[in-house]
Amino acid sequence: MLGLALFSCGAPADTDTTFAVGVEPVSESPAPAWRRLRAVEYNHATRDLFGEGLVLPTSIEPDVSLNGLQVVGSSLTSVSAWGSERYEDAAYLIAEQALANPDWVSAHVPCDLDVGDAVCAFEFFDSFGRRVYRRPLTLAEAERLTGVVVSVSLESGDFATGLTYGLSGMLQSPHFLYRTEYGDGGDQLTDFELASRMSFLLWHTIPDDALLDAAAAGELSSPSGRRAQAQRMLADSRWNDGLRAMFSDVFALYELDHLDKDPALFANANSSLGPSAREETLAVIEDLVITQNTDFTQLMTTRSTFLDRNLASLYEVPAPAFDGFAATELPNDGRRRGLLGQASVLALHAHAVRSSATLRGVFVWRSLLCLTISPPPGDVDTSIPEADASSPTLRERLQTHQEDPACASCHVIMDGVGLGLENFDGVGKWRETENGAVIDPSGQVEGTEFTDAWNLGEIIRNNDNFAPCMVQHVAHYGKGQVLTVGEKPWKDWLTAKFEESGYRFEEMVLVTVASDGFARVGGTQ
Amino acid sequence: MSRNSRSTLLAHFSRRRLLQGICAGASVGVGLPLFESLFDPSKQARANALGFPERFGVFFWGNGNRPDQWTPIGEGVGYALSASLAPLAGLESKLSVLTGLRVNVPNSIPHWSSAGGLMAGSVSLGDDNDTWTPAGPTIDQIIAAEIGNDTLYRSIETSASTTGSMSYTGPYANNPSENDPFAFFERIFGVNFTAGGGEPSPTLGWRRSVLDSVMADMNELKPALSAADQIRLDQHLSGVRDLEVRLGRLLEDPPQLDACLLPSTPAATFPEVDGLKPLSEISRAFCDMIAMTLACDQTRVFSHMFTGPLNNERFAGMADGHHNLTHDETGEQSQVQEITRLCIDEYAYLLRALDAIPEGDETLLDHCLVMGASEVSEGRTHSLEEIPLLYAGSACGRLKQGVHVRSFSQDNAGKAMLSMVRAMGVAAADWGADDVYTTDGLSEIEV
Repeated sequence: MLGLALFSCGAPADTDTTFAVGVEPVSESPAPAWRRLRAVEYNHATRDLFGEGLVLPTSIEPDVSLNGLQVVGSSLTSVSAWGSERYEDAAYLIAEQALANPDWVSAHVPCDLDVGDAVCAFEFFDSFGRRVYRRPLTLAEAERLTGVVVSVSLESGDFATGLTYGLSGMLQSPHFLYRTEYGDGGDQLTDFELASRMSFLLWHTIPDDALLDAAAAGELSSPSGRRAQAQRMLADSRWNDGLRAMFSDVFALYELDHLDKDPALFANANSSLGPSAREETLAVIEDLVITQNTDFTQLMTTRSTFLDRNLASLYEVPAPAFDGFAATELPNDGRRRGLLGQASVLALHAHAVRSSATLRGVFVWRSLLCLTISPPPGDVDTSIPEADASSPTLRERLQTHQEDPACASCHVIMDGVGLGLENFDGVGKWRETENGAVIDPSGQVEGTEFTDAWNLGEIIRNNDNFAPCMVQHVAHYGKGQVLTVGEKPWKDWLTAKFEESGYRFEEMVLVTVASDGFARVGGTQ
Repeated sequence: MSRNSRSTLLAHFSRRRLLQGICAGASVGVGLPLFESLFDPSKQARANALGFPERFGVFFWGNGNRPDQWTPIGEGVGYALSASLAPLAGLESKLSVLTGLRVNVPNSIPHWSSAGGLMAGSVSLGDDNDTWTPAGPTIDQIIAAEIGNDTLYRSIETSASTTGSMSYTGPYANNPSENDPFAFFERIFGVNFTAGGGEPSPTLGWRRSVLDSVMADMNELKPALSAADQIRLDQHLSGVRDLEVRLGRLLEDPPQLDACLLPSTPAATFPEVDGLKPLSEISRAFCDMIAMTLACDQTRVFSHMFTGPLNNERFAGMADGHHNLTHDETGEQSQVQEITRLCIDEYAYLLRALDAIPEGDETLLDHCLVMGASEVSEGRTHSLEEIPLLYAGSACGRLKQGVHVRSFSQDNAGKAMLSMVRAMGVAAADWGADDVYTTDGLSEIEV
């Protein structure tokens, strides 16, 4: 595994930078990657190719998160036999819709379907295929697909049927379903590989023609060429999709589709709570990054948010709109603010029937500070005692985790942070007491004490690991790989640039895409 | 669909695909394979002396059991079921219970160490974010490589609860579960179900020519990839090749088995009841269809996961999710015990569904080997000792049926896995790695 094993439990991060911020240090070239399109990427790609109205397949191979990211899982996992079956079903579902759509046909098929021939099929694959494979097709590839069209057309007596089968072949090809990031023998990705890497990072879909044209012209080999294209792409509304997709993966917000809460215990638990909570978090991120283009670290402390009636009820504030989401400002009452006050994080990292200081602590530690927490040893009793008069709140009940040395090395860290969020119950509703006893939400993060959740957000924002962690998320997500130890100089340099920009996320993304480290690739061995 | 009637069905059965080999026949030898050698289409499965194919299945439930309420009373034939196993009453003559066995892997990742240790026989690979994969193929896929080559589907994977499964073709190569009964019905008993009397579609040949083009792309791409990515490509290619073979099979006459009937269509949705997923109803819908999938010889290998390792599913009347209860319920853990019984009840449902289908003078269950397993014994401590392991059927008389075998020396659970692999006709020299490694089966269950 390519784990960045720089930290054990609780060890402080090394963020020293010994170079001038203006010069990118040389870092190690990472291994090449062969990345399967995730289900969401497949859907975006096919909508881009065939139109917004496309009826998407309901079932394709599910994605697996590895090292905390689906994009990393998609570089390591394989497609099952059933997966091939589902890709075939999906390909015909899509190809039949395409050929049945006269607008799409007239835009992309260079002949009348009634008089189609091999030349027409070849020209179709040669031109339309460039967007499907995100690079020009080889002669052999275009000829092979044309051969399918010709044989099926002859047997069925219908060119449109032949083209449907040829097109479905393109949609089942590894050149559509995977992205190769191998370079062409040197130490840099090819222009077309870079176009895809940029497009899936920034837009969460395939490159458009302008980006492919830039790749064809060799413009993406240079940092300035990549920066120019990335600037164009950030001005496009697809950047909103890309940003949302990135944080859905980085914070595992897709899991909110399956939020499981006992409705008998939580009045606010309903099937739309998870999706609503995700929308709040993504809308706040979108606002900070794109609309405001401001200091991203405010994510941890901002009172500005977007709520629907569902969340307003949970947060006990006036609903800002009758229907859907609207901007609002949370009260300045010392209770709820920032990401750690949002139901997405609070409900996802809790149990079906109660809160969890440990799960919330793990989220802060891994996802906000990018520090390592080892799993518990396999053969220990991890039970938490039931509440009684001597231990009414979770803090007392978690004492064994703190006292047993085998547990304490990590639990002091996780629980110490997570107990700071105990004023929020298992779905994120505010509470002052648990079992009649007043909750003590104080604690410390890496030696810095905090008084409560309100204060904790600020402590995390100012923690030395927070900004580098956001940089690392972008790097992992863009590359589909965990950074190697040898890439640490690159990460440190990007962090310094992030700080220099006043922590503007868009600028950090632009610097990342333009950097040499983004384009570098090692050999296959 | 118009092909439900038995008479239509029979009218279309003209000639059955010949099944090769008999119960006592020779088998093709492979060691525990790496992926490249796992699937060999030239292999032919055995059938038993009556001509019925042999099948292998896994029933899995998560979070283990209460060991103190698990072990049957008495050993050998005629044992008395324990409280946890009571739902299996009436099946004792076909059910074997193995107790006292241990999964011999380091218990480093709770639940996952033993899940991979049991099902694949080696230490699981994990990362810093609690994700894991077994280090090699799981038992069902090792057996599917031997006996899965003659049917439309090499294996099927289903679950009442999740899209994950306990079936892996290799590391990072999971075979996801179908967890929607209606979608499973459409897949197995929809347009491809020629055993139900449907005519092969004229498009099969066209689809095969498309798959040929896809495979040509894959073969062209392969040399440029790293060794690790070549394995991933080979796994994908293997699935495409299976599909291409299947389309060819659909042009042949379907297998003819008297017990084969189109099952009734399951409900389109299984809505929550009082905020709870109806796991039992979903599982039973799958089990009814699995039984007919086997009876119609659409596959000979299945893996059905009622609930997964570490699952926190909630059940009616319980104070918390399953996993949390295993850790936090105090005393005798009566809720954990009740959930264990519920899981075993679903295993019993599956076995009864198989046993209700006649095949000759016997039943479908008699021509199956269906193991039942969980990833730990006592959930509270993630114990790897006293691992719960069951099997029903006898693998064509190769394994003792209806016995309780107890190890008093914490014997290696891998021995039982090796016995099952061999009983299904895989000429395996050994099973597992490191402390699981064994060249000996569990002699007490071998005939």
